[in-house]
Amino acid sequence: MTTGNMWQPVSLSHSIETATSAGTRLSGEDLVVWRDNSGIAHVWEDRCPHRGMRLSFGFVRGDHIACLYHGWQYDTGGQCQYIPAHPDLEVPKTIKVPVYLTEERAGMIWTTLAADAGPLTVPADETGTVPVQSLYVDCSADAVIAVLESMTLAPFSAGRDAETTISAVNPSLYAVSSGQDRLLIGIQTITDERTALHVVISGLPEVYEGGGQAHFLSWALDLRYRIENPPKKTFAVSSRAVAEVL
Amino acid sequence: MAALTLYNYELDESCYKVRLGLSMLGLTWETIAVDVFPGKEQTTPAFLAMNPAGRLPILKDSHLVLSGTEAILAHLAKTHDATGKWLPESGAAFALVMQWLNFSARDLDATIAARQHSLFDAPGDETALRAASAKALRVMDDHMTARGFEGADWFVGSGATIADIALFPAFALSRDFGIDHDEYPALRRWARKFRTIKGFMTMPGIPDYH
Repeated sequence: MTTGNMWQPVSLSHSIETATSAGTRLSGEDLVVWRDNSGIAHVWEDRCPHRGMRLSFGFVRGDHIACLYHGWQYDTGGQCQYIPAHPDLEVPKTIKVPVYLTEERAGMIWTTLAADAGPLTVPADETGTVPVQSLYVDCSADAVIAVLESMTLAPFSAGRDAETTISAVNPSLYAVSSGQDRLLIGIQTITDERTALHVVISGLPEVYEGGGQAHFLSWALDLRYRIENPPKKTFAVSSRAVAEVL
Repeated sequence: MAALTLYNYELDESCYKVRLGLSMLGLTWETIAVDVFPGKEQTTPAFLAMNPAGRLPILKDSHLVLSGTEAILAHLAKTHDATGKWLPESGAAFALVMQWLNFSARDLDATIAARQHSLFDAPGDETALRAASAKALRVMDDHMTARGFEGADWFVGSGATIADIALFPAFALSRDFGIDHDEYPALRRWARKFRTIKGFMTMPGIPDYH
């Protein structure tokens, strides 16, 4: 399965502040995620056409991102608009960075490597989201999902011990519910052997900011621990069997 | 001779920590350049007399000759910062700054070794050093994620301390030893904030533009 052609989250929205950039990967493809001064997020190939420098090392000025090497500036369409060493040059239209479809939904920045991908099937949030954390682990998305599905979640909001329900909203988004609380977990296939989990709370900031975030951060760190420390296979040997051998 | 003299190597991140401390505390100091690479001047008798461990940085403050990065930062904050904000006096804040200085000296040593290996061909197991470095940086990122939920911008308390100064270079220079900033969003946020502190300066490997 070429997972890069599916819509996948590549960052928490919260992690890409206005006028900043960061690198990431989707199915091994290097990407830059950046947010322009008007607050719109962009996902591009992470490579300046000039010298191949990673644009994620660059800097955002207004609605342009500039390469750290020689300051070539690209507009929000990926088109190079300005080359500082040749200030009077009308930049050829062929100097353009490949851009990918980008959406922000469920408190995450989503993209797909396919130009003709269908619409992103993440329902619009009625209550908003509150960020928790992105977890990065050395294993496949399938292995991550297997551990995720074995988790229980203690609710933050008042209530007795609630049952945990886990369901797939789409192949890259899982919902984990307990009592009145609901987490959304976006799964990013960085490579076949590295996966990111982007964890947000589905709910109102006034309810969850602070204490709720800390509560679910503990859960997220527990999830990461379980993914990184799978239970060792044990061999049950009864004391009677041992006694018989002896 | 100025009261404060720093024996300095420009490419050494530990010297950079002291330069940051001196600058952010608004102090004036004299710099004496030391030929660390390739000269290993810090291991010659004149330097061993000041620091038998054969390492920089070394700070001279009048008659006091001090080595050990975190000790130097603590000394500067204790004796040259009238505001007291860089090394808080109060119990818990003081203890937590010490905890992170200890983390800087012990856990981030892997990042120094990884960078020395990468830049100056110092001996070391690259894979192991990189793994230990990534682990230490993740401890920092987890901490700053939790701090963010408390509405806090700094490692300890409500303002920047020498803990932030001691911890900044390992993250800012991590690309020198093959670790990108991509997977440490809370440290990216903290580093951007750190760069706005009055007296901030870069060193080779840390871009002026960001």
